[in-house]
This record gives sequence, structure tokens and C-alpha cells, in this order.
Amino acid sequence: MSRVQSRLRAVAIAAAAALCAGCAATPSEPLPPIGARAADANARGAARVRGGDFAGAARSYEEALALARSVEDADAIAANAINLSIVYQWLGRDGAARDALKVVLDDPKRPFPERRRMQAELRRAMLELASRNTSGAAEWLSRAERRCERLACDLAPALLNVKSQLALADNQPADAARLAQAAVDAARSRGAQTELANAARNLGRARLANGEAAQAASAFEQALAIDHALADPRKIHADLIELARASAAAGDREAARGYLERAQTVSHAAGDPRDAHELEVELHLR
Amino acid sequence: MSDEFRPPARFPHLLAKVNAFLLFALALVIAFGAIVAHKQGWFVKQTMIRIVTPDALGISKGMPVKLYGFTVGSVSDMQLVPGGVDVQLSIMNEHMARIPKGSKARFARESGVIGASVIEIVPGKPANGELAEGEQLDFERSRGISEIVEDFRRQAAPAFAELRNALSQVNRSGEDLSVILSALRAEAEQIPATHKSLQRLIRNADRATLQMNATLESVQRTSQTIERATPVLAGKLATTLDSIDGAVVQMRQTAAEAQEALRGVRPVLDRSESAVRDAGEVFSAAKRVWPLNDAFKEGGDATLPIDSFEAQGALRPAQQ
Repeated sequence: MSRVQSRLRAVAIAAAAALCAGCAATPSEPLPPIGARAADANARGAARVRGGDFAGAARSYEEALALARSVEDADAIAANAINLSIVYQWLGRDGAARDALKVVLDDPKRPFPERRRMQAELRRAMLELASRNTSGAAEWLSRAERRCERLACDLAPALLNVKSQLALADNQPADAARLAQAAVDAARSRGAQTELANAARNLGRARLANGEAAQAASAFEQALAIDHALADPRKIHADLIELARASAAAGDREAARGYLERAQTVSHAAGDPRDAHELEVELHLR
Repeated sequence: MSDEFRPPARFPHLLAKVNAFLLFALALVIAFGAIVAHKQGWFVKQTMIRIVTPDALGISKGMPVKLYGFTVGSVSDMQLVPGGVDVQLSIMNEHMARIPKGSKARFARESGVIGASVIEIVPGKPANGELAEGEQLDFERSRGISEIVEDFRRQAAPAFAELRNALSQVNRSGEDLSVILSALRAEAEQIPATHKSLQRLIRNADRATLQMNATLESVQRTSQTIERATPVLAGKLATTLDSIDGAVVQMRQTAAEAQEALRGVRPVLDRSESAVRDAGEVFSAAKRVWPLNDAFKEGGDATLPIDSFEAQGALRPAQQ
């Protein structure tokens, strides 16, 4: 009984405090109706992304983009275009993802904030790299890097990670390892856990390509530990696959098979089953 | 006596000799004419082409026409036409193949600005095809010596102005140098006085050294006094340390009591934490309810996080 009373008392105190805060705070400027609708559409898109409904999220971001364009809100236009490019890529619509970014990249006269332009250029570089167009990726990456002066911007870890992946795609594992290490340092100093895990994974890949299987496995273990904390099945799956490769390269076929089985379990549990048959053949586990 | 004329015996066959001489002279004249005609190029087939120039200054009939420095023809005629002078050039047919359409002619001199004037032909691209009889070439006049001199004067004038400024500055520097020398001379005149002042300074330093010796003796006496007083001070310091030790013990007791007090406060803190958590929940609920939701609208970044993992492309998040 006393617990209920104390809870009620706490609620009453909190409510009074909230009312006082409301009275004391200066009223914020009300959003214009279109702006509020655009913000709502954007928030709906984010909620649908969290719920895994990417098609719905794309519709919400399209609506938000149209509303933002109707009031020429440059920042909101760029933000929703970038969101659309991310969601389209998840939907496998790489062409549409590139077209979404054109809103920002092909309009140098509109006063988009520098941060948005840099985000758009980095996203375009990622799309090109995902399509194995390394020269295009390098071009967009260099543009983004120029905006991220001396790699002091908050996107520096992501930028370094993409550069590392690009170097690896160009068969330059030593450069890839150096860039991945720089990304590790940048991500650690900024407390960016997602990019820290990506950097550790890239470092492992570069070392594996350089024939250093033991050091690669150590880096993959670090990435896996962070990805477990972030609870992202895609990345856990990727880490396990890389660990299987590293174990196979080190000659430990049993460990490799174990990692592959774990990876398959993860992908099945996440509702995204991926066939590991080819990988087993590649690693000579069959 | 016969009427028939008989030449004198001194000139037998005179008529035949005169006829032979005349024939020989005629042959010489014809040969000379042939040589002159050959030299003048009368036996060489020529093609006439034209140029039009605003003025014919320096151009005259017979002026050679050159291609790569080699004479290929000459100026054969000149006529006034509306807008300038039409100059006809006779070019030897054997060289016409090297003068395709699109070639240009220009007025030039054989040795730079001095030397014989010529019309020089600058050939165009062979792909344009051969030039036909009577066709016109573009013509450009080269700069005359007066134009070259004027151009040089225009470019050299600023340099001369700079040179004049530099010379005037050098002159001014000379004036400054004389001022500096006179100042140096004045300073040199004061050197004996400075020397005397330095001697006085050295004497004063000697006196100061003597006084310092006396001061050092008094310092020595003071240190002996301190040496005597040290045992007394050490005793007093020991007493002070004992007092500090007592104070530390007292503080330790106080800390223990404070720890006890904190132990008692711990439940209160726990309850406060619970109350704060509850208040947080209430605040979150209130923030979502009209009319407070507008006041508490979050202003975070509206973009999804940009994750470099997406650059791998093949792996997409699973849809639910």
C-alpha cells in the first residue's frame, strides 16, 4: 500500500514539475503546417525503417521529400533524398537510389548545407562501390573528402572505412589496412560504435588479404563483439562469415565450419536465409 | 671597154662575206632574245593567282613570290579595285601543286626588317585540293619597322620609368648616407667623454665590491645565529606535528561517522532514484500529449545513419 502511495506522490510531484516547466519555458515557434507534415512524414519513415517496412518507409520519405520541395526547405529536401537513397538501396533499387541523390548532387545552385552535400557524396560513393564501379566511387569519395576538411567532420570514420573498402577492391591490402586502422582510431575517438565495428571488420579483411590470418581473426572477433552489442544480424552474419574465411585460411576447417553454421543460424533467425553452399565450396569445407 | 662592174681585186667575195656577217649577227640577236625570254620565264607555263591588299606600299611589279624561301613566281600586275589593290601573282605551274587551297600570302622581307621585299606564301593543308587559275589568296601585311619600334617603345616605357625611379632612390640614399656619416662623426667626437664615464664606473664598481665584502660578513654572522636557533625550532616543529597527528585521528573518526550517516541516507537515495525514474516516465508521456508535444518536439538529425557497411551492397537488412 505504502508503495502505491509513494508512486502516486511521485507522479503528482512530477506532474506539478512538468506544469511548472511548461509555464516557465518560452513557447517554441509553431512549425508551419507543411513543415510539420514533412517532419511527420519523415518520422513515419524512420519508424517504418525501425519496423523493417522498407517499402512503407520509402513512401513516407517520398511524401516528406515532396512536401519539403513544395516549401523549398533545402535541408529537409537533402535529408529526405538521402533517406530515400538508403531505403531504395535496401530494396535493391540501386538506380532509384542514385536518382534520389541527384536532387542534391545535380543542383549546385540550391543552398544545400555543406554537411548534406557531403553526406550525399559519400552515399553516392557507397552506391558506386556497391556496384563495383571503383573509379566512380573514388571520384565521389574525393569530393566528400574535400568537404570533410582534414577528416575533422563527424563522417570521417565512415569516409575512411569506404576508402579502405575501395583500396581492398583495388587489390591494395596494405593501403586498405592503413586506412582501416585510421578509421578505427577516428571511430574510437568519436565513440562511433557502428563505424568502429565496420573498421575492425575492414582491418580484418585487409589483413586476411595480406595473408595474416591470425591477426585478421582477432580483428573480426573485435567487430563481432561490437556487433553483438549493437544487435545487427546482418553484421553479425558478415563477421561470422569472415571468421570462417580466416579460420579456413589458417587451416582450421572445423572452426570454419562452426562459424559458417552459426552464420546460417543467424541469417535464418533474422528471416533472411542465405545459402552458404558456395562459401563452403570456396573454403573447401565439403 | 665593157660596162660590167667588177669589184676591185682587193675585196674578192665581199658580198658573200657581208651576208655571212649579217646572218651571224642575226643569229646572235635571236640567241640573246631566246636567253632573255628563258630568263624571264616566257617559255615556262604559269598560273595567275590573286591577292587583294588594302594598300600596295612596298609591292611592285616583278617582286618575287617565295615559297619556303624559294622563288616560285613574281608579281605580274597590279590594279586598283574598290577596297584596295588587286595584285596578280604569276606562279610557275610546276610549283602550283605545293600551294593548295587555304594557303595565305604575306608581305615579308628576306632578312628580318631589312632586306628585299618579297611576297611569301604560307601553304595550307594539302587535303584542301589544288588552287585554280585566278583564285584569290588571303593576304596579311607584316609589321613595318615603325610599328615594331612603336611596340618596343610601348613595352620599354614602363621599364625605363622603373629605372628612373630606382636611380632617384639611389640618389636619395646618397643623401641619407651623408646624414648617417655626419651623425657617426658626432658620435665619434663624444667617445673621449664616454671613455671618462667608463673609468668612473669602474672606480664605483671597486667601491661596491668592498661594500659587498662587508655585507657577506654580516650574512655569515646571521647564518651562525640561525644555526644556534635551529634546535629550538625543531622542538617546536615536533610539537606541531603531534598536533596534526591528533587532528588526523579526529578526522578519521569523523569520516567513519559520515560513512555511517551515508549508509542511513542510501535508502533515501534509492527512493529518490525511483521517484526520478517515475517522473521521467510521466515526462515522456506528457511530451507525447497535446498541447505539450509541440513544446517538446525533438530537433535531431532527420537522416538515417550513414553506415559504411552499405558500401558492400550485397547484404541488405531483412524485411519483416
